[in-house]
Amino acid sequence: MSEDSSSSEETNTPATSVSQDTFTTETTAIATSAFNIHPETPSSSSSFNTHLAIQSLSSILTTVSPSLLSQDQDPAFYLLHNPDISSQVSSLLRLPDSGAGDNNLCRWFYDTFQSSEPQLRLVVLRFLPIIAGLYLSRVALKKPLAGFEAVLLAIYAHETTSRAGQAVTVNVPDLSYPSIYHESKRPAKDNDAADLNLAVISPSLEPHGTVRSTRRARIVGVALELYYSKISLMPVGSKIDFCEFCKIWSGQEGELEDDEDNVEFRDDQGNPDKESVIKEGRIALPWELLQPISRILGHCLLGPSKDKELIGSASAACRSLYSRSLHDINPHAILATRSLLRLSKMVLDPKNNVDHTEIPMTDVISL
Amino acid sequence: MLGRQSSDSIEYEDQTPSREVWANGVCMKTSEVEAKLDEGNIQEAESSLREGLSLNFEEARALLGRLEYQRGNVEAALHVFDGIDLPAAIQRLQPSFSEKQPSRKGRSRGDSQHAVSQHAASLVLEAIYLKAKSLQKLGRLNDAAHECKRVLDAVEKIFQQGIPDVQVDNRLQDTVCQAVELLPELWKQAGCYHEAMSAYRRALLSQWNLGDDNCSRIQKAFAVFLMHSGVEAGPPSLAAQADGSYVPKHNLEEAILLLMILVRKFYLGKIVWDPSILEHLTFALSLCGQTSVLAKELEEIMPGVFHRVDRWNTLALCYSTVGQNKAALNLLRKSLHKHEQPDDLTALLLAAKICSEDSLLAAEGVGYAQRAISNAQGHNEHLKGVAIRMLGLCSGKQATISPSDFERSRLQSEALKSLDAAMSFEKNNPDLLFELGMLYAEQRNLNTALRYAKQFIDATGGSLLKGWRLLALILSAQQRFSEAEVVIDAALDETAKWEQGPLLRLKAKLKTSQSLPMGAIETYRYLLALVQAQRKSFGPLRSVSQVGGDRVNEYEVWHGLADLYSRLSHWKDMEVCLGKAKECYAPRTWTS
Repeated sequence: MSEDSSSSEETNTPATSVSQDTFTTETTAIATSAFNIHPETPSSSSSFNTHLAIQSLSSILTTVSPSLLSQDQDPAFYLLHNPDISSQVSSLLRLPDSGAGDNNLCRWFYDTFQSSEPQLRLVVLRFLPIIAGLYLSRVALKKPLAGFEAVLLAIYAHETTSRAGQAVTVNVPDLSYPSIYHESKRPAKDNDAADLNLAVISPSLEPHGTVRSTRRARIVGVALELYYSKISLMPVGSKIDFCEFCKIWSGQEGELEDDEDNVEFRDDQGNPDKESVIKEGRIALPWELLQPISRILGHCLLGPSKDKELIGSASAACRSLYSRSLHDINPHAILATRSLLRLSKMVLDPKNNVDHTEIPMTDVISL
Repeated sequence: MLGRQSSDSIEYEDQTPSREVWANGVCMKTSEVEAKLDEGNIQEAESSLREGLSLNFEEARALLGRLEYQRGNVEAALHVFDGIDLPAAIQRLQPSFSEKQPSRKGRSRGDSQHAVSQHAASLVLEAIYLKAKSLQKLGRLNDAAHECKRVLDAVEKIFQQGIPDVQVDNRLQDTVCQAVELLPELWKQAGCYHEAMSAYRRALLSQWNLGDDNCSRIQKAFAVFLMHSGVEAGPPSLAAQADGSYVPKHNLEEAILLLMILVRKFYLGKIVWDPSILEHLTFALSLCGQTSVLAKELEEIMPGVFHRVDRWNTLALCYSTVGQNKAALNLLRKSLHKHEQPDDLTALLLAAKICSEDSLLAAEGVGYAQRAISNAQGHNEHLKGVAIRMLGLCSGKQATISPSDFERSRLQSEALKSLDAAMSFEKNNPDLLFELGMLYAEQRNLNTALRYAKQFIDATGGSLLKGWRLLALILSAQQRFSEAEVVIDAALDETAKWEQGPLLRLKAKLKTSQSLPMGAIETYRYLLALVQAQRKSFGPLRSVSQVGGDRVNEYEVWHGLADLYSRLSHWKDMEVCLGKAKECYAPRTWTS
């Protein structure tokens, strides 16, 4: 950590579009202000934290109803699921300069994520698709991003701590040895996993005090991994936001219908031409981003909650990403997105949706 | 509600005017009973069944319930089933089984008792099962799940030794199988994902005597749920892990295990082919980058299941993903043969791309790229720019081994023409900027190359190391060493320690070129520390995000340092370095 920050202070990047030297200081400014707002209160209960978060949010949002504070239900749950709040927050987030270091909303996200309430962290994660989506698409547009980066770094740091920096690995099973689900003639191996195929699905994590541009994709990717691990708790709207950004990121129109949500990019360019509107947010899609993206899309398409709108949005995202993988001639991405796309078609095929738990309907009923 | 029901029943009567019930060897038309049911007289309907077929109360109710269920009157069916005291019925069934099973004497009597009890059990369990189905259709999913669970609990109580393989009543077995399959489905629909997980495990790890199809459907559904529910299942219960067999430690592993078992069941002929299983496995294995395992699975699938060209092309994707481009290209050559599918655009593009990376194959790649251009039509027209880009890359690569100057400059200008043309198709593709920069640099058109390299860094936000390196190399080719060093320093700052190796090596060389040997030695020392730390640490678990080697060959570092010392006439130091270099080099040549 200390190494990172010391080396970044002495540098000046001549050719990058990101203003590296400014955001470090801004990030620390946010960090200290977090302590000013929340003095260490040992008695702080969860509802106290939540109310504080709601209070500071209502000062940022223009039209939050005061009744919000007197909700009977769990206020954090309310924050997470209220469509009115979501739409206000997301339209504020989509303003052109929303990613700046002094942005109130980013500060709120940062502070709220730092609070010890898991419920409040979910509220921050709910907006991760928009934050990450705008952030990655804006990198090449030379816009202030320190606020977004502070939030993303906080999420990355949280995941690094909770994983203790460890890699996530998968042992690809070898069927010639017996498992809990099948038998095999070969004797069970004593716990010697040496010749199993060890695959790394998420490499070990190093702490990052700043967003170094070559680690940007990884930092966002890790934040998306955390999002995926909580995805069953996320409202559908958040997942749809994510799918929309996948289309923008891919830079491929695919078979998109008219896209009215991409207002932000239209404003930037002052150019309502649909083609450039969509292509403007195209980003590099290395595997460290594409893998969590694929997992999230897999959930949206094939997960247990069958929401029609979400499935439609996710299949469109999938088509765009598949098309992009062909443009990149990236075999790994082609395999992953193509199988998702084929699966989503099979799922919608009524031929594959026979209910095998139905009893046979016979004319002759016997005892 | 009543109105809907009666209209439903009219419809049913129209379709099936002659529904019948059979029991005790007697057959009876149901029209009379159904009329009574439609009037809401359950009791009368029940008594007419009991009289007509000489049934007891429970049997009559079970039949009535099933009749209502089949007629689509689920609410009425629920009403009828509610009239049976199911817990009591289950209670009555239990002792007769657990007592009779251990005794071997009086076998004939035991068997007949068995038969009777199995029949009764089947009746009761089917009634509970249909109750669960009715509740499911009414959208009362939680209640449905609880009823369904009661079927399984009852079966476990009645058959404490597991369901006997041979003697079991077919109908009872059917009900059990259906209930086993239904329960996780219900929990899933009710949004109780943890209950669904344990229901799946219970289905697959206990002895239910499931059929192959039945079991495979559950395994597939569980694999999909594990992969995509977003809920971590946690390890299976200790009871299941007892015998030292392989226990998956998280969702993805468990899903892959189940899918592999399903593929194997298919080629053992136990189940019919389900293409979605292979797609699920493809997705799962490509998530963890294990496409070589996927290739092995694909190679084991019998011919005739899917088209050989599809198999070759998918295998080529698998091999190319793990860097085995030679194997991939051989497969693509087969699938692109004129008797197979010579116009497959994805295969053509992949082949061209593989060829574009090897100067000896580049000429072959030009051919693929040209075929790809002419095939990029219709709904594939959006890939035309990609094909043109590949043509440019292959021509450019071909130029590097061209024997004559004339030929080389012809190929280079063709390459430039193609890349420029590709640019008009793919305006937003930064890769093209990089490739143009490389090509201009190779032509020694350094000012233009510099412009593209800068554009590339801007477009990618400096996120790709290769952009920084290209910029520094172009600057150093222009003898602007100190500027090149500034670029490298900036790049170092954008890079995590672990991946700084190649940049440090470049920096040391730049220092040497500027006649700053002390600075160069300092940089080499730093680099050596890094290389040694990398050697000691866990290799495979580190990220290798920016392919193209974030590792530096230790031999080259020592060699570079030795070279430096020799310029300074520090012969002793040079000798030490060369000794070290020899140490790194010798074992490698012998073992590899």
